[in-house]
Amino acid sequence: MSEQGEMHISESELRSMTDDLDEMHESTMPEVRRTLADWGANLGQLTRGRRASRRGFLLGASGVVALGAAAACSGGTSSSSGGSSSAAPSRSASPYTGDLRVVALAAALENLAVTAYKGAQQAAQAGRLGTVPPAVVTFIQTAMKQHADHANAWNAVLTGAKLPPITGAPLTITQQQVTMLNSAKSVTDVAKQALALENSAAQTYQFAAANVSSPQGISTAATIEPVEAQHAAILYFVLGQYPVPDAFIKQDQVLTPSALTA
Amino acid sequence: MENRIDERRFAELMEESADRHSDAMHQGRAGLKDYVDVVSDVRADVRADAEREHRRLSPVALAAAGGAGALLFAQAVPAWADSANDVMVLQTAAGIENLAVMVYKTALTLPFVGGSSANLVVKTFAQRTMQQHQDHANAFNAAAQQLGGKPQSGTDPKYTPIVQQAVPTIKGPGDVVGLAITLEDVAAQTYVKDVSLVSTGKLKQLFGSIAGVEAQHKAVLLAVQALLNANAPQLIAIPTDASKLPAAAGSVGFPDAFYPTANALPASEGAVK
Repeated sequence: MSEQGEMHISESELRSMTDDLDEMHESTMPEVRRTLADWGANLGQLTRGRRASRRGFLLGASGVVALGAAAACSGGTSSSSGGSSSAAPSRSASPYTGDLRVVALAAALENLAVTAYKGAQQAAQAGRLGTVPPAVVTFIQTAMKQHADHANAWNAVLTGAKLPPITGAPLTITQQQVTMLNSAKSVTDVAKQALALENSAAQTYQFAAANVSSPQGISTAATIEPVEAQHAAILYFVLGQYPVPDAFIKQDQVLTPSALTA
Repeated sequence: MENRIDERRFAELMEESADRHSDAMHQGRAGLKDYVDVVSDVRADVRADAEREHRRLSPVALAAAGGAGALLFAQAVPAWADSANDVMVLQTAAGIENLAVMVYKTALTLPFVGGSSANLVVKTFAQRTMQQHQDHANAFNAAAQQLGGKPQSGTDPKYTPIVQQAVPTIKGPGDVVGLAITLEDVAAQTYVKDVSLVSTGKLKQLFGSIAGVEAQHKAVLLAVQALLNANAPQLIAIPTDASKLPAAAGSVGFPDAFYPTANALPASEGAVK
């Protein structure tokens, strides 16, 4: 008898539970969209020279995390130095300034996560990762959808401010992440890379909530940060590590706006 | 509960985790110190501004200025009011943490959580999570005291009776996990909301940091609950056999794309009277 056959709750029942949770998720979306629409309605003041940060976002390039190094700390396989090979444009050349630069960074980071999970899905389907556990398949599908929701929410703010949405991942770390993904040989490789991205996303939102000026931006970042942290917890578990290693979410993998190349 | 685990590897993992926890605590305390420094600076600035204005506007000048003098002081007051609000929010948060510590401490007295029949991972999770909640309570209370408030040594007034009623009805691990999920979720929702309520970036960072950790506790507990409901306790192991995990276990831990706040506790609920 299979493992599934021994369970009191069948796989289909568990999936049904997940579907219920999906419905709950859908019910939270309208509220978030309303919050962000309100923000969009007040963007005039954001685009009139409000600084991106009180203190932290002035860290500049030195504050940009090398996710390759972060992945290595998590056991990643990349030996690249990470960080940036392409310089971010000067602030004056970018249409994204002030809090909106943080919004653009968030959208780009979410798109990068979607890209990474999509790439992992394709690699799995091509058989490049070996046997992929069903739970990992579900994790990828659900996390990817949530990251897409996050990206859509942030892009709605940008379009509300008459700025172009971020459709790709214009970040200094993107090429390195793609290279890492392409060299992944196993589920473990992919999970370690995803873990580094999720940790970086959670930390970046925590940092953003403490440093943007807009109340709507603060509350939106605050509602997304715990979700990225949850993704990380499940990845730790799948990787065989203790799932809640820290009493406080750290600040050593923050991605600052200087990593945005748009 | 079946206990299938590589104990040596588990001990190594716990040691690594303890090191990371220690590092994070160091960082958390450093963050807290930074926050307190910033708050102190702000308060000093507000006080200096108010005193300067008071000296400039002597009684005669104040009388002449009339409402303008009052307005100047009124402008200085909100920063103090923010501090009072911050203290209240911190005390409420400390009350939640104290209750969580009490729940895990009580759970660890039960044979199927802390006794010989316990799953080692569940037992370790309860121990480490209790310690993390104690760390959070200490951080919140330290910040409240630095702002001139009293530490909250009690437990949250709304959920304490709920927990007290629930404890005698606990029959197995599933009941404990269900209760813990409720508390972790309330904590996370409250802190997510608190990020917007508190007045300084450092305090927002502190609440965001801890909200993320409570959300992680909830994610793990949801996964554990799903495995218990699926009668697969042998998969509650570190390392687990990922290939045998049911598909839904990959997503049950994060039901919301945006963390809700509908069940957040009011900021004043646990304020020290």
